[in-house]
Amino acid sequence: MRAPRHPRLGLRNRVTLSFALGAFALSSALGAITYFAARSSILHDEQSAIESAAFANAASLRTSISQGYGTEISTIASIDQGSQSQSALYVSGQGWIFVHPTLHSPSALPRSLRTMAIDGTAAVQIIRFDRSTRIAVGVPIRAAGATYFEVFPLRPTARTLQIILAALVAAGIVTTVAGTILGRWAAGRALRPLRDVSQAALSIASGRLDTRLETADVRDLALLASSFNRMVDRLQQRIERDARFTSDVSHELRSPLTTLAASLSVLEARREDLPERSQKALGLLAAEIRRFQRMVGDLLEISRLDAGSADFETSVVEVGELVRNAVATTGGDVAVDVPPATAGRFLAVDKRRFERIMANLLDNARRYAGGATRVTVVEHEGSVRVLVDDEGPGIPASERARVFERFARGSAAAGSRGAGDGTGLGLALVAEHVKLHRGRVWVEGRHEGGARFVVELPLLDEGGDDADATGLESNPRAGRARTTRPRTTGAGRL
Amino acid sequence: MSSHILLVEDDERIRTSMRLALEDEGYELSEAGSGEEALELASQAATGQPFELLIIDIMLPGMDGFACCRELRRQSAVPIIMVTARTDTHDVVAGLEAGADDYVTKPFEPKELAARIRALLRRARATDGSAASLTFGELEILPEAGVVRLAGDEVHLTRTEFLLLCELAANAGKVLSREQLLERVWSYDYFGDGRLVDVHVRRLRTKVEPDPANPRHVLTVRGLGYKLAP
Repeated sequence: MRAPRHPRLGLRNRVTLSFALGAFALSSALGAITYFAARSSILHDEQSAIESAAFANAASLRTSISQGYGTEISTIASIDQGSQSQSALYVSGQGWIFVHPTLHSPSALPRSLRTMAIDGTAAVQIIRFDRSTRIAVGVPIRAAGATYFEVFPLRPTARTLQIILAALVAAGIVTTVAGTILGRWAAGRALRPLRDVSQAALSIASGRLDTRLETADVRDLALLASSFNRMVDRLQQRIERDARFTSDVSHELRSPLTTLAASLSVLEARREDLPERSQKALGLLAAEIRRFQRMVGDLLEISRLDAGSADFETSVVEVGELVRNAVATTGGDVAVDVPPATAGRFLAVDKRRFERIMANLLDNARRYAGGATRVTVVEHEGSVRVLVDDEGPGIPASERARVFERFARGSAAAGSRGAGDGTGLGLALVAEHVKLHRGRVWVEGRHEGGARFVVELPLLDEGGDDADATGLESNPRAGRARTTRPRTTGAGRL
Repeated sequence: MSSHILLVEDDERIRTSMRLALEDEGYELSEAGSGEEALELASQAATGQPFELLIIDIMLPGMDGFACCRELRRQSAVPIIMVTARTDTHDVVAGLEAGADDYVTKPFEPKELAARIRALLRRARATDGSAASLTFGELEILPEAGVVRLAGDEVHLTRTEFLLLCELAANAGKVLSREQLLERVWSYDYFGDGRLVDVHVRRLRTKVEPDPANPRHVLTVRGLGYKLAP
């Protein structure tokens, strides 16, 4: 199986990111086009206004020069003052005349403009001069054999362009943010069915087999939902059929077993009247019938647990009383040790299930380890641990998890199987019952040798006098208890 | 003198084997293969030697065990043990609500059934009432006479309901846990089925409470048990 690649980005984040990038690219492109179009249009208008001003100024200069040189400097100075521009005059054969202090070198004017104008063609060019954008105009004054240059400021126009630029950038940001939000929303919406499916799958895995997807009104999704639901239907049918089969088989066995048990007791009452060989046969019959009975009982119990139809009746009980009673009912003379610190603590348990837990653990110890030697109750971080110790051969570490599986018999026990009359379900039932109580069960080795089975059950919360915990009224949620709790092995069972 | 028991079970083999086993325990048995037959036998016997206890299987052809039990309860307070094939809440509670005093689940050991029969019959014969009369508001209990009156009218209780009421009355004002009631009324150990107590308390309330939904006499003490208000 391919190892799942670590996802760098969630699907939703990726969709969001693409929306954001798309919105950004689109708004930037539109902004740039708008800006440059506006810029060229504004500059064009400005340019024509400036050109006509320059031509007018050149005309008045020509008038001044045509009466002879000498007054040109004062004329240029007054022009500059009038139109807030900087002017220069190139007179062929004589060179440059600069008036304005900032415009004092021909290099301030681009060469192309200079040559074009000096060669006799009026020219306009946008330039950078004195740290701002300006428009330079060159007008030949042929009559005087001179060329007039004028540099106009562009300040109001630049302001307008700056405002347009700022507006476009702002619009771009808004568009990008809106795109991101839209992307996130769209991704969430598009992915919702996927999320629904995965939630439904999780819920089914945790044992709620009646989970179904709502049929979507969009056609592609409706197909997904209906095929998903069809799959779960068949799965549920199959699981229920299997569970029902086990339950039916066990039920059908109950009647003959009742007859067998009753007839057996009649025979056993007359055991002494039977010949020795018949007594031996009766002993075998009795042992096997009892084992058969236990097995049917265990199978029924486990099928009820699988079907989720098992009753779960909690009552609030004192832990020492509970454990002592359970051991007394089923375990005979095993010592029960309840330290004073733990005595007086309360548990909310299904007493009869707890009795089954203890009975099965003690039975297991009797069968494979010569009997339990001690039962200890200890408190541990809001829980109670019931320790069942034996002095048998112990269970190898590698088999400790497996002993709670159904029909799992350890390799050590396999040899003595002929003599054993276990059902192979005892510890599996212990695990199921403990899980119903939201507890844990495990087995560990003891330093002194032998095994220690540990059942950990949550203590009743302090002040837990709510109706749930008392269970005095019959529990209306009986049978649902299991399905409303997360089950770690649920997926495995499917 | 052996007790006369009626066994209602449609499976002939179970019936025969159970009769053999219970006869070994010292009981005298009659058999019925259906609910209808059981009712007929019971009404015939009522005139002569009535049955002291009935064992009724829930799954019967025709009239089922619940209906048979309800029908019998109309005429008699005789102890009834239900035989169920399941321990599910539904069957057990329905059986108890139909009027059964106790139940056993198939497959059972005859010894287990015999123990249940003994407990019910012992209780049925016991007349250990010490006080002549106990009065709680409108509720009057005469343990000796086995009579309960509500506002002067006699109330018909089954023996189990009566014993339960007497047990609560003898400890009026004190809370009795389900375990204590199971032990004293049904002779069960610590791990008896608490539903027996719950259903019987419910049934008792419908008979001795003017308003069973708001009991004034038989009170639930959350987390602890039940008590009779003094």
